[in-house]
Amino acid sequence: MTIKRRDFLGHVAAGSAIVTMPAFLTGCGVQQATQIATPTPENPFMSWFGVDEAMITRVMTELTANGADTADLYFQHQRSNNLSMEDGIVSRANTGISQGVGLRVVIGEQTGYALTEDLTLGSMLAAARTAAAIANGTGEIAPQAYNPKKMGDLYTSSLPWSDVGIDRKLPLLKYVDAEARKGEPAVEKVSVYFSDADERVLIATLDGHLVMDHRPMTRMSVMLTATKDGETQSGYSNVASRQDFTWYTEERLDRMIEEAVDRTMILFEARRPPAGEMPVILAAGASGILLHEAIGHGMEADFNRKGTSIYSDMIGKKVAEPFVTIVDQGTIPKERGALNYDDEGNECGRTTMVENGILRSYLHDSISSRQYQVGATGSGRRQSYQYAPMPRMTCTFMEDGPHTKDEIIAAVDHGIIAETYTNGQVQIGAGDYTFYVKNGWLVEGGKVTAPIKDVNIIGNGPESLKRISMVANDAKLDTGGWTCGKNGQSVPVSQGIPTVLVSSMTVGGENVS
Amino acid sequence: MSADLQKRAEQAVEMLRAAGADDAWATAAQSRDVEFNYRDGALEKVKDTTSRMLAIQVYANGRYSSHQTTDLNPDRLGGFLKEAVDITGALEPDEQRELTSPELFANRPDVELDLVDGSVQTLDRDQRIDWCETLDENARLHNRVISATSSVQDGTQTTASASSNGFSGVQESTYCWLGARVTLSDRGDRRAADGFFAGSPHVSDVPDAASVASTALERALIRLDSEKGPTTKSTMVVDSRAAAQLVGRLMGTANARSVQQGRSFWADIIGKEVFSPKLTIVDDPLLVRGLASRHYDREGISAKVLPIVEQGVVKNLYVDTYYGRKAGMTPTTGSASNRRIEPGDQSLDALLSDAGDGVYVTSWLGGNADGTTGDFSLGLRGHMIENGQIGRPVGEMNVTGNLRDLFARLEAVGNDPYPYSSTLAPSLVFADVDFSGV
Repeated sequence: MTIKRRDFLGHVAAGSAIVTMPAFLTGCGVQQATQIATPTPENPFMSWFGVDEAMITRVMTELTANGADTADLYFQHQRSNNLSMEDGIVSRANTGISQGVGLRVVIGEQTGYALTEDLTLGSMLAAARTAAAIANGTGEIAPQAYNPKKMGDLYTSSLPWSDVGIDRKLPLLKYVDAEARKGEPAVEKVSVYFSDADERVLIATLDGHLVMDHRPMTRMSVMLTATKDGETQSGYSNVASRQDFTWYTEERLDRMIEEAVDRTMILFEARRPPAGEMPVILAAGASGILLHEAIGHGMEADFNRKGTSIYSDMIGKKVAEPFVTIVDQGTIPKERGALNYDDEGNECGRTTMVENGILRSYLHDSISSRQYQVGATGSGRRQSYQYAPMPRMTCTFMEDGPHTKDEIIAAVDHGIIAETYTNGQVQIGAGDYTFYVKNGWLVEGGKVTAPIKDVNIIGNGPESLKRISMVANDAKLDTGGWTCGKNGQSVPVSQGIPTVLVSSMTVGGENVS
Repeated sequence: MSADLQKRAEQAVEMLRAAGADDAWATAAQSRDVEFNYRDGALEKVKDTTSRMLAIQVYANGRYSSHQTTDLNPDRLGGFLKEAVDITGALEPDEQRELTSPELFANRPDVELDLVDGSVQTLDRDQRIDWCETLDENARLHNRVISATSSVQDGTQTTASASSNGFSGVQESTYCWLGARVTLSDRGDRRAADGFFAGSPHVSDVPDAASVASTALERALIRLDSEKGPTTKSTMVVDSRAAAQLVGRLMGTANARSVQQGRSFWADIIGKEVFSPKLTIVDDPLLVRGLASRHYDREGISAKVLPIVEQGVVKNLYVDTYYGRKAGMTPTTGSASNRRIEPGDQSLDALLSDAGDGVYVTSWLGGNADGTTGDFSLGLRGHMIENGQIGRPVGEMNVTGNLRDLFARLEAVGNDPYPYSSTLAPSLVFADVDFSGV
C-alpha cells in the first residue's frame, strides 16, 4: 500500500498555463551569477564554483592533516527571489545570493567545522586549518581523483528558475489578488507572496566521491483579511514544491485561493471546542505533522546514539497496531522535502521507521550509521554551507490502512477533526509533542456538527502511536510549504497521512466548567 | 574592520546610484562566531566561522527592492548591483516607499552602550575547553543523568550602513554564552530533559560555568515523574523565563505593518486602557550592555526609549517609515530592541504563596496565537501550586484563551526580570485561566 504517485505530482502535465506572460521585460531579473549548461559540462567545477580537482585535493589534504574518519567540502550557491504583493501592487522584490563552502572533518563523534565565502585557495586552506584543529593525529591521504556520481533526476527541469524573469511571475500574483477579491465581498485585504530558488551544491568527500545536485524550490502563499459585522478574521493558504514555473496552473492557483477564502470565512462561525481529553480525527494530508512530531524527530539517530530520545531502546518493539506503517522517503519526485543526494553526498532513499506496527529503523547521518554499523539512510541534511549536517526528515508519511474516512467519523461519539495546522513541536526525551490546529470540526454522535479554530493539541509520542485505532485508505501528501527547525537549522520537508483516528489526545479549549 | 565595512557600504551606495538608482541604502556586515560543544566527557564539535555579507535597498523611479549577497567577489559585485537596479525597474511603483527621512537620523544618542568586550575577541581554545569541562562535570552530577551536552558560544558582529541621503553608522557587539542541556532517565522509556543558557556581551556578566550547569541540572531534575495535569480553570503563575516568551506572543502584532494589513488586535486599542494596570512595557534600546541595545535601528532611526504600554494603557506601537506612511502613523521604530516589563515588588515565592493553588508554568511547548483576534492556545510544562508552594510536576497540558483578555487579568508582577533574554520579563500571575489536561 503505497501512496499514489499522481497525488504527489498533481497537475504538472495539465499544461494549461492560463496566465499570460507578456515578454516586455525579457531578460530582466534573469540571473547571470553562474551559468549552468545542460548537459553537465566536462568539468563542472570551474563553471559552478571556480575550483578544480587539484584545488579540492589540496584543501582536503589540509582539512585532514591531523586525521579524519570522514571529511567533506560542501560548496553551495543559492539564489532566491521573492516578490510581495500588498494593497493591490507588486511593489517589493528581494533577491538573495548565498555562496560559500563548508569544511568538515569528523573523527569518531567529534566534528571540526569551518567555512569561507571567499572561494580562493588561500581562504579555503585557512578555513581547512581551522576545522582540522579538532584533531591531533596523523594526516590522511586525500584522493587525487574524484568519481562524479550520476546526477539525480527527481526535480530536473528544462526551465530553471534562473531563466524566469519577474515579468513572467508578476501576472501570477496579480491573478491571485484579483481572484481572491472577486468571490467574497467580506475580503478586505489580500497579500500574495511568491518565492523561488535555484540551489547548486557540490560535495567532495574524503573517500573520493563527488556529488552535484541542482535543487529548485518554489512557494506561493496568499493571506486574507475579512471583516463581517465588525469582526475581523484572517486566513491563509500556500503551495510549495521543487517544481518549475509551469507548475502554477490556473487550476492550482484557484484551489489555493479557494482554500484561503474558505479557511478565513469559516472562522466567523468557528468556536473553541470543550477542553480536555477526547478522540481526535486527523484529516488526510497536512495531519502528517503528527508523524513529524510524535515519532519522526525521536527517530533521528543523533538523539538515539546519545540516548536522549524516548525511542532509544525501542527498535524491534511493537509500538502501534499492525496497520500502521510510517516511512521517511526523500525520493518522491518534485516534493518539497525531496533530495537526490543528502548533504553528505549519500543517495536518498526510503526508510521504514514503523513497519506494520514494529519500530524498524532510525534516520541516520554518516556519524550515526558508522556507530550503529548500518547503511546510510541519506538523512544527513544541513541548512546551508554555514552548518554541519545532522539526521533530518525529508518526506514523512503514513501508508494507507484498512478503514475509510466515513467509518472513522461514524466511530466518534464526541471528538474533533483536526484539518489545518500552523506549527508543531516535540520534546525528544519525554516524547511530549504538540501541534496547533487552525481549522477543524466538532464531531458529535458520529457526525460533523460545527467548525472549531485555534486549539493546541498535546500528546505523548509512543502513547499516541498506540492509540492510533483506525487508519483510512486515503493517504496523501500535503502540498504546503513546511519547514523543519532543529538546533537552529531550518530545512524544507514534506508530510502526509491518510485519515486517522487517535482514540485520545488533550485538546486545548476554553469551555472549562 | 569597521572602516573597511563602512567603505564597502558607501561604495555600494555610489555604485547603485551610478547604475541608475535614485536612492540607496547599504549595510555591510561581518561576524566571527565560535562554538564549542562538549558531551559526556569529550569534546564533540568545534565550529569556527568568519562570515560576511552585503545587503542593499534600491529606490528607483518610484519603485523599491532589497537584496543581499555573500558573494563579494569584485568581478561579480558590479553585476549584482546593476541587476538589483534592473529588477527594481520591473516592479510596480509605490508612492509610499522612500528612504527614511534624515530628520529621523538626527539626535542619535551618544550614550556608551558598552556592547564590545575585548576579552571575548581574545578568548582562546584552552579557556573555552576549561568552561566546557566545568559545565560538563557539573551538569552530570546525578546518577540519573543519561547525557549532557554543554556549549560555549562567543563572537563578534559588526555592521556598517550608509545611505544616499546622508546616513552613516557602525555598530559592533560581542557575545558570550554558556549553557548545558541535561537528559535524565525517567519512568519507562521516558527521559526528563531541560537546559539553561546564560550570556551577555561581556564575559564578566556571564555566570560561572559551574552555576550555569547546576541550574540546567536542577531544571531537568524537577521534570522527573511529571504527569498530565487536570482540566481546570485556575490561577496561572508564569516564571520569568516563560513570561518573556508569553510577552513576545502578546506583542507579535504590535506593529504598523500588522495594523495596516488588518491583521492585528492592537489596531483598535491604541490610547485605550485594555490591559491590567499592573502591565507596563517599555522598549529600551539604550540599556548599557543590553542584549538588543543599539544607537539606531535597521532603517537608521535614532534610538529612544519608547513606552508601549503604560499601566495598562496602549501608548505606542512599533512603526517603521513605510507602513507608518501607509497607515498614517508617526514612525517610532520598526523593530523591537530590549523590552522591559516593569517589575513589581514581590518575589516568585510570595506570588506562589498568594496564589494558593493553580498552575505554575516553567516552559511552553508549541502552540500559537492568531495575531488578528488574539486567540491563543499553548502547550505547557510546570507544576501544580499546592498550598502556596511548588507542587507535583505536570506536563502534556494546554492553556487556551485570548491574549488581550489574558493580559487584562494580569493580577501581579514579580521582582525577578529574566536577564538572559532581550525581553526582560518578571514572573507574572493571571487569574481565571483555562487549562486542558486529564
